[in-house]
Amino acid sequence: MDIDDILAELDQDGLPQETRDLQQLTRAWVSERSAPEILPWPAPLMSRVLERIRRQIWGSKIELVEEQTGNVDPKINFRLIIIQTELERFKFLVRSFLRARIAKIDAYALHYLTDPAQSARLSPSETQYASTHQSLLSSHYRSSFLAQFPASLQRLDDTAGGMTMIETPDLDKAVFVRALTDTDEPIYVEGTDTYFEMKRGDVFVVRWNAVKSLVERGEAELI
Amino acid sequence: MYGDLGYKLAQHAKRTQALAHLPPYQTELVREVTREVRDLDKDVSNILAPFQGSFNPSDEPATACAVLVNHLCMRRNKRCLLAYHRVRSDKLEEMCWSGKDVLDQTQQAANGLRQGNGDRSGMNTEAGSTNSLSPEEEEYTRQYSDMLAAYKGQWTDIDLTGSLEPPRDLFIDVRVLKDAGEIQTEYGAINLTKNSQFFVRQGDVERLIAQGYLQKLS
Repeated sequence: MDIDDILAELDQDGLPQETRDLQQLTRAWVSERSAPEILPWPAPLMSRVLERIRRQIWGSKIELVEEQTGNVDPKINFRLIIIQTELERFKFLVRSFLRARIAKIDAYALHYLTDPAQSARLSPSETQYASTHQSLLSSHYRSSFLAQFPASLQRLDDTAGGMTMIETPDLDKAVFVRALTDTDEPIYVEGTDTYFEMKRGDVFVVRWNAVKSLVERGEAELI
Repeated sequence: MYGDLGYKLAQHAKRTQALAHLPPYQTELVREVTREVRDLDKDVSNILAPFQGSFNPSDEPATACAVLVNHLCMRRNKRCLLAYHRVRSDKLEEMCWSGKDVLDQTQQAANGLRQGNGDRSGMNTEAGSTNSLSPEEEEYTRQYSDMLAAYKGQWTDIDLTGSLEPPRDLFIDVRVLKDAGEIQTEYGAINLTKNSQFFVRQGDVERLIAQGYLQKLS
């Protein structure tokens, strides 16, 4: 997929749902891998994709059975290989996407669990994973050494002394971003007096914080 | 005193990050750092005891400073301990994800070590062949892999622990390194005997490659 596809896609609502889903999934995957914080869970997209994968696996199994019962048609066989290759690719996309999210959840579990605005971005099963993992970790710490600590030092989410123990993602990390539409108003980079405007197709390297809202509205994408 | 041991732990953690395997758990060191924290805490309460809760830092700058130093040391020790354990548990999780049997493997490593030591020290290595994990870590690993299995179970079609390399070919050539018995695939059963070579679907044998039974031929 290159830039023309992406730009063209904006005007093409007439594309079949499948094609758009693939583009959306690819975009979600790329964004998730380059954004420093976790992005909202694309529930409808994921359920559509998963449903389709399930159907295809099922379908290709049936065709396989037919094939094995002696009815070998080279055309079907060839089609099957294409379908299965495509399936593997889809599975890879979803897998890599999920793993990228899990890696972030593992790194900043407390941050995502304690802040309601953040925890809304996780899918139910991810929330469950995060809280189970966190409780496992803390019980591991407790049985290893924390239990023998003075009570005032036993907490894992201490914010005393001007320092918080909860690690948060670095929202000022630089990301590569490409504009999908012209921006209406200039974008200000927080903490500096820099601002800029983006035309459709422009590529910038900026702090994630500055373009976060654009990406979430779908007016720009990470690359 | 005052954070020396914590520093050692941090060094251990740093070294662990660069290693492929998990070095033995520093039980003694962890215990001593914990003891240091308790001692410091006791010191603080001893220092503060004569004031009976009405301690004003600006009246007694010297005492306040002592208390502060003790407090900072305790916090630092806690940080070192947390970092040390986190690095190790991260490593364990990584092993869970890559599908290795962590508990089994460390046992094997310990056994290998014992054999390497030879007969000369055969008598006293019996006790030395203990795991490089602490009992708490073993427990943690077991629970984590259970949880991982549960989470994975929701994504049966995707196989979450599968390869993170983008797939290129549907079928690949593999060579069998160890006898793995017979496996069932959608194209029928394959008998994997050592040194034989097969052209199979990547998805079917991914797990065996990760476990070192098969080798992918490019």
